[in-house]
Amino acid sequence: MAAVSPTTRSRPPLGRCLLRLFTVQGSWNYERMQGVGMGVAEEPLLRDLRGANGGTTYHAALARGAHFFNAHPYLCGLAVGATARAEHDGVPGEQVERLRAALCGPLGSLGDRLVWAGWLPITSGLALIGVAFGLGFPAILGFVIVYNVGHVALRWWALRAGWAYGARVAMALREPVLQRATALSGPAMAFVVGVALPVVVRYLSGGFVGWSRGLLAVAAAGGVALLWWQRARLTGLRFGLALLAVAALAGGLWR
Amino acid sequence: MSLDTQLFLLAWGTLVGLDLVSVPQMMIARPLVAGPIAGAILGDVPIGLELGVLFELFQLDILPMGATRYPEYGPATVAAVSVAHAAGNVAAGLGLGALVGLITAMVGGLTLHAIRVLNARAVHRATAALEAGDASVLARLHVTAIGRDAARAAFVTAVGLGLASVTREYLGGTLPPRGVTFLNVAAVGAALAAGTAGTLRLVGRGPGFRWFAAGVISGVVVAWLR
Repeated sequence: MAAVSPTTRSRPPLGRCLLRLFTVQGSWNYERMQGVGMGVAEEPLLRDLRGANGGTTYHAALARGAHFFNAHPYLCGLAVGATARAEHDGVPGEQVERLRAALCGPLGSLGDRLVWAGWLPITSGLALIGVAFGLGFPAILGFVIVYNVGHVALRWWALRAGWAYGARVAMALREPVLQRATALSGPAMAFVVGVALPVVVRYLSGGFVGWSRGLLAVAAAGGVALLWWQRARLTGLRFGLALLAVAALAGGLWR
Repeated sequence: MSLDTQLFLLAWGTLVGLDLVSVPQMMIARPLVAGPIAGAILGDVPIGLELGVLFELFQLDILPMGATRYPEYGPATVAAVSVAHAAGNVAAGLGLGALVGLITAMVGGLTLHAIRVLNARAVHRATAALEAGDASVLARLHVTAIGRDAARAAFVTAVGLGLASVTREYLGGTLPPRGVTFLNVAAVGAALAAGTAGTLRLVGRGPGFRWFAAGVISGVVVAWLR
């Protein structure tokens, strides 16, 4: 395969690629999962290959880019950057495929711990505390801004690191800052949401007096026990609907 | 409620639904954001904040990993705020809003699954072009899928607002005070239970649990001092 050195392009279109990465899950499906979105995001970085081998290299790379992929959406850029760089470096197609497959698990797991079970509940918990303390809209605005500073920074870092490391992208995942952030995010999330819950209880239960307050405590405590005990089958949604149905029935019968 | 307001709510719900998975995942789909903005559209931010907090607790029960199926609480919160606002105050509309919201969230979850199946069929049909590395087919597939998700989000919001309208029409003002209280207790109790159980699942039994316990104790002290 003819290799096109990355030095032939001094400024890869990382900005355009980043913009497309914001839509990476737009065509999520059960066949290729994020694959199509990955191909769309990678395409600007592959355009330099159009001249090589009468376009065969470009088309083959693009086809590989749209194959099955599933990872955390914010970290997809790492795989996009790494595989695009590997294609430019002339790495054989089968090796690029193996690289993509190998990245799915680690990027999914890292992103889930760092974002879904870390940064998101931390910032959401802080916003809940803010609203409960009467901050109102500024708390919501603060949540959107702070969360997205981290969100965009992570996407940008991932894409740049992927492009910089290429096939050696595993090294990027060993960066000390990332390791530290992953280690800290779990305890920080647990503490912040722990603080938020009693504060929110007070905020939401303000309108309840007398027997209804006691009933609320029983419903909430019983619900936690039931959801924990039946965690494999019972979801918050089903529990909520069932409890509301019982409440509507009780309210109708006991007038 | 005027048609203009309904259309604004529909547009907001569509953006919120699109943000959940497709574009750009900046978390306007979180109930904590979707609720207050819906409240602002209706000129009633406090009710939006209260329902936003309520559904944010339900949202804590969800981890949107990979191919997992989950309810969609963004457009659901928009519909819930619409019901609660029509009831006149939080005390009268919280439970009814939660009822409409939870049903809408369930519908949203079902449509998410349906859209993924439709996308898979479209991708399957285009396999030959995709394997040939055809950039235009790739882009068309992607853009069409985003459009499909926007239509889905609009549909879910419309269903929610329709349910809200029916609820306002047939249930608003007909429930006895005790029935309203029962519904409110059920809504808040279920939300607190879902939020706590979801967090406990996330935290696990390891060292994270100690941090969670420390947080709860601190939160109790803070709430008591206020």
